Amino acid sequence: MSGIVLSLEKATKRYSGVAAIEDIDFELERGEIHAILGENGAGKSTLTKVMAGVVQLTSGCLKIDGREVSLRSPLDARHNGIAMVFQENSLVPTMTVAQNLFLGRERFYNRLSGVNIAAQQFLQSLNFDVSPTAMVGTLGAARQQMVEIARSVLHKAKVIIFDEPTATLTPEERKYFFALVRDLKRRGVSIIFISHALEEALNLADRVTILRDGKWIVTDGAANFDQARIVRAMVGRDLSATLYGHKKTSVRRPGARALTIQNLKMAPAVKSNSMSIFAGQVTGVFGLVGAGRTETFKIVSGVMKRDLFHGGEIFLGDRPVRFRVPSQAVRSGIAYITEDRKIEGFFQTSSIARNIYLGLLAKFAEGRSLLSRREQARSGGDWVKKLNIRAISDEAKVVELSGGNQQKVVIAKSLIQDPDIIIFDEPTRGVDVGAIAEIHDLINKLADDGKAVVVISSYLPEVMGLSDRILVSRQGKVIEEFSARDATEEKIMFAAIH
Amino acid sequence: MRKPLGEEMTLAAVRDFIDGLVGRGAASIAVPSMDGALKPNSALDRAEVLFECAAPQDLATDGQSLFLADGAALVRIVEGRAVVVREFDEPITALACLPDCTLALALAGTEVHVFARPDDETPAASFSGAGMTSINALSPAADGALYATSGSAVHGVEEWVRDLMARGRTGCVLRLDVASRKVSKLADRLEYAFGAAATNGGALVAETWRHRLVAIGADGGRRIVLNHLPSYPSRLTAASGGGWWMTAFACRTQLVEFVLREPEFRRRMMAEIDPDHWIAPRLVSSRSTLEPIQGAHVTMMGVVKPWAPPRSYGLIVRLNAAAEPVFSLHSRADGENHGIVSAVEHQGFLYAVAKGPRRVLRLSCEHLAEEFGA
Repeated sequence: MSGIVLSLEKATKRYSGVAAIEDIDFELERGEIHAILGENGAGKSTLTKVMAGVVQLTSGCLKIDGREVSLRSPLDARHNGIAMVFQENSLVPTMTVAQNLFLGRERFYNRLSGVNIAAQQFLQSLNFDVSPTAMVGTLGAARQQMVEIARSVLHKAKVIIFDEPTATLTPEERKYFFALVRDLKRRGVSIIFISHALEEALNLADRVTILRDGKWIVTDGAANFDQARIVRAMVGRDLSATLYGHKKTSVRRPGARALTIQNLKMAPAVKSNSMSIFAGQVTGVFGLVGAGRTETFKIVSGVMKRDLFHGGEIFLGDRPVRFRVPSQAVRSGIAYITEDRKIEGFFQTSSIARNIYLGLLAKFAEGRSLLSRREQARSGGDWVKKLNIRAISDEAKVVELSGGNQQKVVIAKSLIQDPDIIIFDEPTRGVDVGAIAEIHDLINKLADDGKAVVVISSYLPEVMGLSDRILVSRQGKVIEEFSARDATEEKIMFAAIH
Repeated sequence: MRKPLGEEMTLAAVRDFIDGLVGRGAASIAVPSMDGALKPNSALDRAEVLFECAAPQDLATDGQSLFLADGAALVRIVEGRAVVVREFDEPITALACLPDCTLALALAGTEVHVFARPDDETPAASFSGAGMTSINALSPAADGALYATSGSAVHGVEEWVRDLMARGRTGCVLRLDVASRKVSKLADRLEYAFGAAATNGGALVAETWRHRLVAIGADGGRRIVLNHLPSYPSRLTAASGGGWWMTAFACRTQLVEFVLREPEFRRRMMAEIDPDHWIAPRLVSSRSTLEPIQGAHVTMMGVVKPWAPPRSYGLIVRLNAAAEPVFSLHSRADGENHGIVSAVEHQGFLYAVAKGPRRVLRLSCEHLAEEFGA
């Protein structure tokens, strides 16, 4: 059965008079996979939140099956067959899969075995390989997503909206996810998904809609797009050479050895890991999920503790160091820019300027009894300009910013400390292409300025495009090193897997 | 009156005790990784093998001729072949050519002779006596003097493993003034001095058991130039374009580092076990089933991992004028050209002695520059 299942006409949403989306026309066909792409701040999230009943339109209308509706809440949307799967799932980790599935639909009397059997039958009908009695907290990201999807289908959703569904998945889990989405499509469910991974969008989607600065730019069949056209439409300029271009032909010569890690251990994630980081270079650290990269550098920066007994050594230059807390590392010139910015990166309800200023305060050993609002405003303003952070004002709350701009705030918060060693952990995860190019430029500039830069990334083109030397990590330790000149995707993946 | 321990000393003692208990700080058995400029490759295994000989020890060049110390024989390398110049009664343990084309050599590690011509019967100058127990390297100074490194005051040159296991720190650097026949001690109490190179007014010295290069001034002042090496550094020779070639005859492993932390174990090992089977660095793998091995992922899916803990290893490091590694040539755990003890640049080629398989190797400097972009 074909036809338009959901449509928006002249949809406009304004926050304090500023348009997040403006005059957008959008149509979703039954059984269609529709990708919505755009830079951070382009209005994708607002658009999908309107569809999911999280926010209401300022003007324009939303139609479901040709009938104009006003969705006042997500529950309202669910009753109309629309479900949204957010990046951070909404499952209860301490409950079983079956309990999560039927949460909110419990009968007066529930027999646990009955719930489990019903969940088992339902999961099997979807070909989902998840045990109904498994505790959700023990499942991997992909399986948690399966449960979330299953719950949407159970609620008879005819439209499921995914926000960055693959951001936290491993390559293997992504394959699972794509198979699931295609299966849902066969069942007549319409899918909308937001993604920054352009290859995924092109491979999975039937149609692609691109937004820019809150406005509709183009909708077309996925087959009619290539990456360059998508990027052009998203940012209004050609960035493909910057983003995907490619193998380095010249590399920076290493400067002094800035950081030495010797036989570092933290069970079970880090197993006798050793490496050196040199000034004036970008060192890329590639590995699959679970390779111990993040944990290694969290130990370096004092966020985590190495094993108490025979935990290895870390040298900053020639000086052995052992940081108990991150502030000690900050004062020694190490900045770790987290992969999980929402949890560890900033204070969501504080302003941009205040977050950046907090970064500066962390540099002072004794803290400060008096805070200078003038200094805060000045430093905030400087870094907003330097990193081109786009916001209504410097005093805007970080939670109101797009992912790319939030990432820039986290980076500014660290760079204001004037570190010598800067560790970027997945610096462009959940960041739009325009901001990716800006962040990449910044990373290169830092290395050119003589800083020792580490980029932990699971995205091979990024590692290969940025790094002067590439360390490959597997099962808790670095097992191979490549010069960017010699590295190929095949060599790196072989080292990462074998 | 007995001086009370200061607070700092007490705290340091407590810290050392705790470090020893949990295995950190000085008690850590961590080993630096071979990466960056020390990234493993197979350049030494690809090198041309000129010939094998009985007991190659050191190389020296005066720009015209290339000499090799092969046991007690002084050999000239001519068009890739060995031509014996003369034989001595004792093994030659070090060799150097001075700027005035005279040849200096150390015999049995206990005496140094300088010959105006290699085939002269009588030396132009001789040195022996205090401090000369284990002369393992000679290096010319700009003013015509010689720097000599003595690894140990207790053990001979060939007993270097015993000196390591005994944690010897009796090495010294001597300055031999050929004109005045005077010997002066530039530095002592070094943990095995093995290799020196003249610098402005002083010498760059490899302190092998401490895995570092130390700049020693004319006044004896010391400054660490290169630290935390993953290998045992040895002889240094000048490289064209500035800087030096530094050889490393073995690499550090956690197993050996662990053994070096255990005095009782070492005492019994030295007393009761054949030195061939000690847990210690080697110049060559004997492939014996009795050889101590280190459990690790030496080979994964048929690929020898670059940081596989080696039992023996081949390594030459190119240092720049600031003594920072620029690139390195390796013979890895699965290679054969291990135990590199000498490397000399001569007429566009780098010659090296692989003491493990008793080979003399040759590599083209032009190819090296192309390969490593240096």
